[in-house]
Amino acid sequence: MLLDYDRMGWLRVALLCFTTLVAAFLLLPVVFIVLLSFGSSRWLAFPPPGWTLKWYQELFADPSWLEAALTSARIATMTALLAVLIGLLASFALVRGRFRGREILRGLLLTPMVLPVVVFAIAIYAFFLRLGLGGTTIGFVIAHTVLALPFAIIPIATALEGFDKSIEDAAIVCGASPLEAKLRITLPSIRIGIFSAAIFSFLASWDEVVVAIFMASPTLQTLPVKIWGSLRADLSPVIAAASSLLVGLTLALMIVTALLRRRFQT
Amino acid sequence: MTQPFLSIRKLRKAFGAFTAVHDVTLDIPKGEFLTFLGPSGSGKSTTLYAIAGFQDPSSGDVLLEGKSLLAVPPHKRNIGMVFQRYTLFPHLSVAENVAFPLRVRRRPEAEVKRKVADMLGLVRLESFAERLPGALSGGQQQRVALARALAYDPPILLMDEPLSALDKKLREEIQAEIRRIHRETGVTILYVTHDQEEALHLSDRIALFRDGRIEQTGTGEDLYLRPATDFVAGFIGNSNFLAAEHLETVGGAATIRLGDGSLVSGISANGRFERGQKTRLMIRPEAFRLERSPTSAELAVEIVDVAFYGERRRIVARTAAGQEIDIRPTSAAMASQEATPRHRQVFFDPGAAFLFPA
Repeated sequence: MLLDYDRMGWLRVALLCFTTLVAAFLLLPVVFIVLLSFGSSRWLAFPPPGWTLKWYQELFADPSWLEAALTSARIATMTALLAVLIGLLASFALVRGRFRGREILRGLLLTPMVLPVVVFAIAIYAFFLRLGLGGTTIGFVIAHTVLALPFAIIPIATALEGFDKSIEDAAIVCGASPLEAKLRITLPSIRIGIFSAAIFSFLASWDEVVVAIFMASPTLQTLPVKIWGSLRADLSPVIAAASSLLVGLTLALMIVTALLRRRFQT
Repeated sequence: MTQPFLSIRKLRKAFGAFTAVHDVTLDIPKGEFLTFLGPSGSGKSTTLYAIAGFQDPSSGDVLLEGKSLLAVPPHKRNIGMVFQRYTLFPHLSVAENVAFPLRVRRRPEAEVKRKVADMLGLVRLESFAERLPGALSGGQQQRVALARALAYDPPILLMDEPLSALDKKLREEIQAEIRRIHRETGVTILYVTHDQEEALHLSDRIALFRDGRIEQTGTGEDLYLRPATDFVAGFIGNSNFLAAEHLETVGGAATIRLGDGSLVSGISANGRFERGQKTRLMIRPEAFRLERSPTSAELAVEIVDVAFYGERRRIVARTAAGQEIDIRPTSAAMASQEATPRHRQVFFDPGAAFLFPA
């Protein structure tokens, strides 16, 4: 092969440098945020004059931060459940169904991934105001579910495509009703896809900020909205601490996904 | 008349304008091993899936002990099935796979345990009970699938080309296994394959499918020795077809004129032929002899090639009319190829030659 890594010679060094640079460019800002959250400087000076946990103490002492985090977790969990449920049903239709307009439906369900979020946010803001759903948890969950749906459908549909329908037929011949065969055989067989879908749609809601800004009310704020609001009010290292927690949970979920995948694939 | 165990009545299945199965009618006695043989697209699998309940026939009926199966959904038909592809449940152990049909039937745990042990014993995979299907070879997976399909003592076992994904040696091993299991359990088996050797080896009877119709049903010997049509003759075993002109038929024995002008009498005629009708004479390669016998007919040929195939030799010869034919005498019948003159006579028994319409 032309681009065989083992045979690239000195190009390997160049490739390594380039890849490192790209990764550094992407990751360093996040690393700095985390470092600053432990720094003692009130003004986010770098390098910090000393190390401290006081911003975390301040963060946990302020109930509005905790409340925002809990709101985020609650909305993200409900979004994940709803997106997986709808994503599962939609995937069966998209993968197994033979009906007119299937491709259009697939495109429609995946649109939120490519549509500019701000356009979606404005549209849903206007719509929800009329319905009285603005600033409510249900409104949040519905809006985030729409955004999360592509992230649920893609892994589930991929897993379902890789699952041989004959296996489900075999379960039916064995005496399982079509529903029982799906619940006892098909779903456990595609569980990697379902777990991935749950984690991705949780994250899609957990770190979503644009729609959340439109949807939020003074009494209902998610963590990203709270960070955004505080950032505009004052530049406190508490924000860095909150951001670090956000990054930390996201990272933890990604690691869990990777570990689950590795376990199921053996 | 006794009622047949399984009866397929004028079964017909159309997909839009294409008719996959045309009015197939077949009675299968209890305990029989019947094979649906035929090329791909001949309707044999569609017929099997209609019996399983995964295809709704356009018309016709499938009766088990006199009762129609058509209104019964597939999961209530109580039929066993082994599929062409590996269909073990990937997240369940071998034992749990075999237990699955018993668990959905809510059988008591003690019975499930005993039955799983019996079935794994039947397919000789007791020591694999706790493995996951992914850790098994293809042949082992199909044996587990067989154990799972038999665990609930179904009256009928359907097998849809279960060995086609396996290599030849393994296939022969499992064929022997399937024969043994059929003998030991007495289950009625409907087996689909496109492999004529597999069909001949396994079955009590073969139904040969062509273009959605059954061309002939009979034992392997019937199909091989007494083919009803030239398609059957061509599909089962090897055959030579020689152009011939029909002269007359008396009491099922036809007289014909071959391309080189020679006359042959006593041919087995399939059907009615007119005087002077163009026909095809079918002779099996191994029906040719190198020595004359009192009843044999003869054919002048030119030897093109001789090859050694162990117990038989294979001779490629050309008739005076310029047609190539395949001759397989036993190696003992022909000491060596040097002894063969280039131009010579070969002989055949007219009773082992069949006449078909051209």
